[in-house]
Amino acid sequence: MAVFYSNALRCSINGYRSMSMFPKHYAEPIKRKDMEEFNKSELTKFYHIPIKPALNSYSDTVFNDEIKGKMLNYITKNGNKNLARGLLSRTLEIIKRAQTERMHLSPDDKQKVNTNAEKILIDAVENSRPLLQLTSIKRGGVNYQVPVPITKKRSYFLSMKWLLDAAFEKDNKVGLPERLAWEILDAAHGQGRVIKRKDDLHKQCESNRAYAHYRWS
Amino acid sequence: MRVPGALYAARGRKPQNEKDVPFQEILPLRLKNTVSGKADSGSDVACLQEMGVLFACMKDNEFVEKYCDKEIQKFQNCFKCYMDRKFEAKKTINQGVVQPGNNLNYKQLNKYMRRFPNPL
Repeated sequence: MAVFYSNALRCSINGYRSMSMFPKHYAEPIKRKDMEEFNKSELTKFYHIPIKPALNSYSDTVFNDEIKGKMLNYITKNGNKNLARGLLSRTLEIIKRAQTERMHLSPDDKQKVNTNAEKILIDAVENSRPLLQLTSIKRGGVNYQVPVPITKKRSYFLSMKWLLDAAFEKDNKVGLPERLAWEILDAAHGQGRVIKRKDDLHKQCESNRAYAHYRWS
Repeated sequence: MRVPGALYAARGRKPQNEKDVPFQEILPLRLKNTVSGKADSGSDVACLQEMGVLFACMKDNEFVEKYCDKEIQKFQNCFKCYMDRKFEAKKTINQGVVQPGNNLNYKQLNKYMRRFPNPL
């Protein structure tokens, strides 16, 4: 610990202070299962470099996915991740059941129906990602809604937030998994409230495009 | 005999004695040895043209994204380039390497001025 502390202190003296406990020369841990296939010469460069410890949430199962993990975190309330995990897995189950039913009901092209629930979740999130955003900027006493580009990270956050908002908005007669599952299925097929919300935002950005040069910060 | 006031009026008001109003130095009468970094942040308007093209395309295709793939790609690439450049610029400022020349950022200027401060 004392070593870490002195390293962090040294980092802060030359240049700016890093928020990380580990200094910059520490390498990121590699999260891969097939380490035998990993090129040996690539590994040699890690021999004498200190490596950061792996995060608690790192996993190499086939069910692990970045978007899924994020979604799980956004569902979580009051740190009750166990409950959130149950809700998400129930959601995926409902999606799977619905898609399987659809596959059996469809007359001819059974292969075309996507029954991979995790893929549908990813499709839904990708479909509802916005391109722009409106920020309010004050100019001459008037607040203008100015369209600004957003980062990739924020677009993912917004799309997942909208999906959850839409799910929470529906009436409380059925549980969250049912509501969320239908929103996700709708969004994955390019329809529904979340997609409409995204399109509305784009339309508003388009009508406010004259203010685009107002942004400065 | 009473002296008429008009005789004095021609001379005007007598100036005040300078000793009655001593000079107060409210702010120090010399420049500071630092500059603030506010002016360096600059304007943040980027990718306006790409945005305009994107809006035009979206309006023509009734806001269906798949018909404007090229424009969207261009717009996002432009924004990414802009952010990367900003990040790099910030990194070089934070390094604070002072090189000769007249195009200095605020951190370099501050380093210079710390070395040659205003004489008191």
